[in-house]
Amino acid sequence: MQPNNDLSLHRIMNTESLDSGLTWEVKANSSFYHKHKQKKSFLCFHWGRYADNVVRSYKYSPLTFLPLTLFEQFQRAANLYFLLIMVMQCVPIISAVPWYVTVIPLLSVLIIRGLKDLANDLARRRSDREINTRPCDVLVSQSFQTIQWKDVRVGDVLRINKDQVIPADLLLLSSSEPYSLCYVETADIDGETNLKYRQALSATHTELTSQPSEEVLSAFDGVVFCEEPNNRLYTFRGQLQWRGEGFSLDNEHILLRGTVLRNTDWAYGLTVYTGSDTKILRNCGKVRVKTTRMEKVFNRLVVGIVLCVLSAALLLAIASSVFSTWVMSHTQFQSVLVVDDNPIYTGFLVYWSYIILLSPAMPIALYITFDMIHTIHSLFIDCDMEMYWQQTDRPAQARNTSLNEDLGQVGYLLSDKTGTLTQNHLLFRQCCIAGEIFGDASVRAEDVELMDLGWNPYSCGNLFMSAPMLVQRLREDQCPISRQFFTALALCHTVMAQWTEDIPVYQAASPDEEALVCAARELGLVFLSRTRDFIVVSELGIKRQYELLAVLDFTSKRRRMSVLVREPEGGVKLFCKGADIVILERLEEDCPHLDKTERALELFAEACLRTLCVAVRSVPEALWGQWRKTLTKAATMATCDRDALLETLYDQMETDLLILGVTAIEDRLQEGVPETIALLQEAGLKVWVLTGDKKETAINIGYSCKLLDPEARLLEWQELREILQSSDPQISFLKGRQTDVWAVGKESAGVKTSLVLTGPELAEFDQRPEWEPTFMKLADQCQSVICSRVTPAQKAQIVRLVRKHTSSVTMCIGDGANDVNMIKTAHVGVGLAGVEGGQAVQNADFALSQFRFLQQLLLVHGRWSYRRISLFLRYFLFKTCGFALVHIWFGCFNGFSAQSLYERWFIAFYTVFYTATPILCVAIFEQDVNAESSLKQPELYKCGQTQELSSPLMLLSSLLYAVYSSLILFFIPCGVFYNTAFDQQTMAVTVSMAATFIATIEVILLTRYWTKINVAAVCTSVVLFFICSRITQSAFLFQRSPIDYSFMGVSEKAFREPVVWLTAFLTAWTAFLPSLTAHALRVVLSAPNKHKVHSVSSHSVELQSKFRRRTSSHRSSHQQRM
Amino acid sequence: MMASSYNAKEEDGHHSGSASHGGAAVVKSKKPDNTAFKQQRLPAWQPILTAGTVLPAFFVIGLIFIPIGIGLYVTSNNIKEFEIDYTGVDMNSACYSCAKNFSWNSTTSCLCTVDFTLEQPFESNVFMYYGLSNFYQNHRRYVKSRDDSQLNGDMSALTNPSKECEPYRMSEGLPIAPCGAIANSLFNDTLKLYYLEANGTRNEIPLVKKGIAWWTDKHVKFRNPGGNANLTAVFQGNLTATSKPVNWRNPVYELDQDPENNGFINEDFIVWMRTAALPTFRKLYRIIQKKSSTMPTLPSGKYVLDITYNYPVLSFDGRKRMILSTISWMGGKNPFLGIAYITVGSICFFLGVVLLIIHHKYDTRSTGADIPN
Repeated sequence: MQPNNDLSLHRIMNTESLDSGLTWEVKANSSFYHKHKQKKSFLCFHWGRYADNVVRSYKYSPLTFLPLTLFEQFQRAANLYFLLIMVMQCVPIISAVPWYVTVIPLLSVLIIRGLKDLANDLARRRSDREINTRPCDVLVSQSFQTIQWKDVRVGDVLRINKDQVIPADLLLLSSSEPYSLCYVETADIDGETNLKYRQALSATHTELTSQPSEEVLSAFDGVVFCEEPNNRLYTFRGQLQWRGEGFSLDNEHILLRGTVLRNTDWAYGLTVYTGSDTKILRNCGKVRVKTTRMEKVFNRLVVGIVLCVLSAALLLAIASSVFSTWVMSHTQFQSVLVVDDNPIYTGFLVYWSYIILLSPAMPIALYITFDMIHTIHSLFIDCDMEMYWQQTDRPAQARNTSLNEDLGQVGYLLSDKTGTLTQNHLLFRQCCIAGEIFGDASVRAEDVELMDLGWNPYSCGNLFMSAPMLVQRLREDQCPISRQFFTALALCHTVMAQWTEDIPVYQAASPDEEALVCAARELGLVFLSRTRDFIVVSELGIKRQYELLAVLDFTSKRRRMSVLVREPEGGVKLFCKGADIVILERLEEDCPHLDKTERALELFAEACLRTLCVAVRSVPEALWGQWRKTLTKAATMATCDRDALLETLYDQMETDLLILGVTAIEDRLQEGVPETIALLQEAGLKVWVLTGDKKETAINIGYSCKLLDPEARLLEWQELREILQSSDPQISFLKGRQTDVWAVGKESAGVKTSLVLTGPELAEFDQRPEWEPTFMKLADQCQSVICSRVTPAQKAQIVRLVRKHTSSVTMCIGDGANDVNMIKTAHVGVGLAGVEGGQAVQNADFALSQFRFLQQLLLVHGRWSYRRISLFLRYFLFKTCGFALVHIWFGCFNGFSAQSLYERWFIAFYTVFYTATPILCVAIFEQDVNAESSLKQPELYKCGQTQELSSPLMLLSSLLYAVYSSLILFFIPCGVFYNTAFDQQTMAVTVSMAATFIATIEVILLTRYWTKINVAAVCTSVVLFFICSRITQSAFLFQRSPIDYSFMGVSEKAFREPVVWLTAFLTAWTAFLPSLTAHALRVVLSAPNKHKVHSVSSHSVELQSKFRRRTSSHRSSHQQRM
Repeated sequence: MMASSYNAKEEDGHHSGSASHGGAAVVKSKKPDNTAFKQQRLPAWQPILTAGTVLPAFFVIGLIFIPIGIGLYVTSNNIKEFEIDYTGVDMNSACYSCAKNFSWNSTTSCLCTVDFTLEQPFESNVFMYYGLSNFYQNHRRYVKSRDDSQLNGDMSALTNPSKECEPYRMSEGLPIAPCGAIANSLFNDTLKLYYLEANGTRNEIPLVKKGIAWWTDKHVKFRNPGGNANLTAVFQGNLTATSKPVNWRNPVYELDQDPENNGFINEDFIVWMRTAALPTFRKLYRIIQKKSSTMPTLPSGKYVLDITYNYPVLSFDGRKRMILSTISWMGGKNPFLGIAYITVGSICFFLGVVLLIIHHKYDTRSTGADIPN
C-alpha cells in the first residue's frame, strides 16, 4: 500500500471514528508509530496517550522513600502530636522532662513503620518485576521473538501459546482452531471457571491462517479504531479498517489481559490496550484502608484524653499565674519562682510544661505495642493447624493484620453462595425415569458403593449413584424410555468435548450441564463431539450422529433449554430440559407417570437436590419445515422484535412434551457448612446470603445449609413492601407473622421468619431511601435474609446498607471476583481460596480455604483477639493515665510549677520496661476459655457483639479508675510525707514504686492464663524496676553526668526505709481495691448466670437435633445457570 | 493506584497454570508447625475466680492491714514529739520584734529566746528538726536552680556555673559558689537548747551537727573542689575566684571550722539542698545523743531555746518551727500511716461482708429459681 493512500484513508477514517467516539487508534505492525507516541509524551500531549505495558504498583523510589514515608506517617495525628511534644521538650525553659523520653519511642515507631512500608514496597516491586519480565512472543520483522511483557507495545502482533496468560488486551486475529475460535479462562477477571470462547473476524481468519503465518501476519496492516480505555469488562466497541473495508468489533473478538488461553494451541492477537490502559487494570479500585471499630472508639478516646490534658494544663497554668502573682506580692527572695517577674508569662510557660508532663497519659508506646499485638495475632491465624486445608496445602492467611479484634465483634455475616457455601462441584445423585426412582441421596456421596462400569470404556468412575437395576435395563435394552432419558442428557446441552487420553473431558458453561453429561457418559450414552451441525454420541458402544437442527437457548426467563435434532434414522426430535414448573405445564395431555414424577420431584426437593425435568417430543416433519422458515425469517430481524418473536416461536415448539424423567443433582455443600451456620447463628450472628443465582436455588441452598428453618415463614418482597408502606411497619410485621400458622408466640415467630429478596427488588431502595431503616429493623428480627439475583455492585450496596443502619461489624465472605466489591466494602472481608480465581483472596482481609474455618476464625481467634485487645487497651489506658495524672494533684502542692514527681528515667522506663511485658503477654496468650470450649459455647461470642469489654462506658470507667488511682497514688504518700523530714526524691521513689505495684497487681488480676512466660514477665518487670532504679541512681552514673542522674543514692536509702515500703503497699492496695471489688462483684453476680448459660446450651443442642428432621414442601428446584 | 492485588493475582493465576502442567518441583508443604506456641496451647495455669477465692481475699487483707495499722499507730503514738512555732507572728511571742524588723539585708543578727516545758522525758536519742511551712521548696524553678556538678567539686562548674542557677549564677562579676536559688535561701537560723534547772541555771544541751546528712550525699554527691583542705585558697584563688551567694553572711568556706564539715560538705547545707517534697516540711537540724542509760536524754522540765533569728519567712506567710522528737524503726511520728492502714483494712473487711451478703442472697435466690427448671 502506498503511503499517500494510507494517509488519506486515515484522515477519512479519523473523522468518521471521531463521530462515533472511536478515538483510540491502533495500527497493526507499526510499532515505531506507537513507540513514538509513547516515548515523546513530554513534547506533545497527544503523543503520550499509549501507556507502556509495565505494571508499577510500588510507591517509593530510593529518592522519594524518606520524604514520602515521613509525610505518610506524620499524617497520623498521634505521630504529629508526639513530634510536637518532642519539639517542646527541646525548649529548656518549658522542658519538664528531657527530650529523650519521647524521641526514642518516636524514632522507633517511625523506623518500624518505615521498614514495614519499605518491605511491602520491595515485595510489590518484586512481584511487579516478576510480571513485567514474563516472556511472550512478538512478531518482529516476519519472525516471532520472545520479549518481556514490559516491552509489549500497542500495535504489536503477539503469539499466545496454550495455557499462557495474555499480557495485554488483544484483538484476536486467528487461532489454531477451526473458525479461529479460541477458549479463554477468565477466572481471574470474573471468577467464572468455565471456558469462554472468543472468535476472530472471519476476514482475519480466512486471510491470516494461510501458511507461512509469520509472513502473512507481518503484512497485516489493519487499523483498529476503538473506544478510549475504560473499565467495562464486558463491552468493547471498535472497528477494524483493513483493505478499505470496515469490520465492526465487539467483545467477542477481544482477549483481555489476565485471562488464560486454554484448549487452543496458539492464537495471534493485535495489541490494543497495554499496561494501565487494559480493562483489568482500569478495574483495580483503590484499596480502602480499614480500621477496626475499637480503634475508632479508642482514637476518639485518645482525642478526648488529649483535650483533657490540654484543659487540665490550662487550668494549672492559670493557677500558676495566680500563684506567681501571689509570690510577687509577698516576697522578693523567692522571685526566682516567677519568670521575668511576669506571672502571665510564667503561666504561659507552665502551660506548655504541663502538656509535656501530662503527655505520657497518652503514650506513644501504645501504638507500637498495638501494632505488634495485631501482627502476632495475625501470625496465630496464619499458623493455626485447625484452619489448614490439607487438600490444597493452604493455611489460613491474615492479609490485613490490623482487623483482628473486629473478628470478635462480627454481627452480620454476609456470604456468597456458590463456591462459598457450596463446593461448586455438582454430583448426579438420583434420577426418576418413568416414575421410578434410582439412586439414594440419603447416603453420603463418599459412601456410595460405586457401580461396576467396566463395560463402558469411557467411564471415569465419578458417578456417585448406585442403581445396578438401571444399568442392567440400559444394557439389556429393556427400557427404551430410560435410554431415551440419557440420550436426551447427552444431546441437550451446550457442552464442548475435549479429548484427553481417549476420554472426553467436558467444558461446560454451567456445572449442572457438566454433571448431567458426565452422568450420561458413565451410563454408556457418551457425548463424543460437537460440530456446528452435528452431535456425535456413542450409545452403549454404537456411534450415532445426530444432525443438530436448532438450539433453543436457555434464558433465565424461559428456564429451560431444548435441542432439535434429526435422528440417524431420520425422525426429528425435540429434547427439552428445564425447571419442573415450566416443563410440567408443557406436557401433552394424559402424560403417563405424571403423579409418580411429581412425587419424585417433591422427594428430591426435600433432599435438597437440584431437579430438572427432561422431556421429549417427536416433531412431525411438516411442523419442522414450517417452523424452520419462520426461524430463518426471524434471524434477519432487528434485535428487539426478534427476541419477542423467537420466544413465541420457541414456545410453539416446546409443547406436547412427553416427560422422560427427572434428574436430581446435589450441589454439595462444603464440609461443615450447616453446622457452622448453626453455630454462628447461636453465636448471635445474622447470616445473610447474597447470591447472583436464582431465587429458588438460593432458597434451596438456604434450606440445605440450615439457614432457613423448614418451618420458617418466607417473607417475600410483595409482603415486605406492604409492610414497609404501612404506617406502622412494626405492627404489620407482627400481624403478618401471627397469621402464620407455624408461629406459636410473638418471640418465636420472629425467629422463624426469613426474608427472601431479589436484586431487582432491592433496587427499589434507590428510590425509597426512607425505607432503609425500617427494612433493617425488620431484617434484624428475622432469622436470616437471602438476596438472590444480585449484581456485585448490589452486594456491596447491601453491605453498605447494613453498615449504615446498624452499628455492628459486618463481615463478607466470598470466593469469586464478583464478591470483591462486597469484600472491600465490609468491615472485614474474607476470601475463600476455592476453585475460582484468586481475586477474592487478594482483596480480602483474611483468606480461608473452607467456609467452616470461619468457626475457628471468629469464635476462637476473633473472640480471643477481641478479649485480649480490649483488656490491653483498657489496661494501657489505666496504667499510663494513672501514672501521668499524678502531676495534676502534685501541682496543687508545688505552686503549679510543672515539677515532675518522678525521676525522669522512671518516666522514660515506666511504660517500656516496668509495665509493658506483662500486659503484652496477656495480649498474646490470654484465653478465658480454650479453643474447644469457645466452639462449644458460641454464646460467649456475644460479648464482642455487644462490646461488653470495649464499650465507651467501659473505656470511660477505665479512665475514671485511672483518675482514682492517680489520686490515691499522690494523696496517700502526701499524707505520709507531709511535715516530715522525707525529701522529694524519696517521695518520688515511693510513688514510683507504688505505681509499679499498682500496674503489676492489676495485670495479675487480669491474667487468667498463666503461662511460664507470663510469670517470667511479671517477675522481671518488678525486678527490673528495682534494678533500673538502683542503676540510674548509682554513684557511677552520677559522676558521669550529675544533671541526668541527680537521684543518686535515693533508692539505696529509700529501699531500706520501712515507711517507704509500707506506704507503697498501702497505696497500691488502696488503688487496686475498686478493681478487685468490681471483679468480686462480677464473680458473685455472674456465678449463677453461668448455670443459665449451660442450661441454654443444652437446650439448643436439642433444638439442633430437631432441626435435622426437616420437612418442607415449599421448595422447588430449577435448572441453574450462572 | 494500581493495586498490588492485581499483580499477586496474576501471579496466582500463573502459578495454577504451571501447576496444572505438572511441571512443578516438589513444593514445600505450607502446613503450619505444630508447636505449642503457634497453636496457642502453651501449658498454663488457669485460676478461676470464684466467690470462694475472691471473698476470703478481702477478709485476709483486712485482717492483715488492721493489725499493721494498729501496730503503726501505737508505734507512732509512743514516739515523743515536741513542736514549737517561733516565727513570731503573735504580738506576745518572743520573736515578734525579730520577725518584724528582720530582712535579708540586715547585717546584725537578731536574737530571741523561747521558753518551753517538756511534760515527759525523752528517753532515747532525740532528733532536733526545724520545720518550715508554706515554703515551696518543691517549686520547679526552685528545684532546678542548682548545679550538681559544681556541688560535686567540678572545677569548671565552679567557675562557670550552670545556666539553671540564674539569677543566682554570677554576682559582682564573679561566679557564685554554691550557685542557685536553693543554696541562696539556705536556712540560717541558729538554734541553741538549754535545760533550765530548778535553780535557774541554763545548762546547754550538746547538739551534734554531724551525721544529719545522708551518707551518699556527704561522701559522693557533695564534694569540695580540690579536696577539703585549704578551701579558702580554692574559692578565692586567682583563677577560681568565687562570690558568696547574695543572701549569705559568710562565704561557703566559712560555714564551719571543722574542715570535714565545711564548704560544700557542710551537713546543714547538704540537708537544705535535699529539697522537700511538700511545702510544709521539716529538716533534721541536730541530734541530741543519749549519754547514759539511766538518765533520759531530755528529762522533763523547763527548757530555753535561743534563736539567732536570721531567716525571714513572714513575708510569704511562712512559719518556722523547732521540733524535738524521738524516733522508732519507722522514723518520726506519723499517725497518718497507721490510721490509713486501719481505714483501708476496715474498708476491705466491710466490702468483704457486703459481698458475702450479696453472694449469699443472690446464690439462694437463683438456686431457688433454678430448682423448678
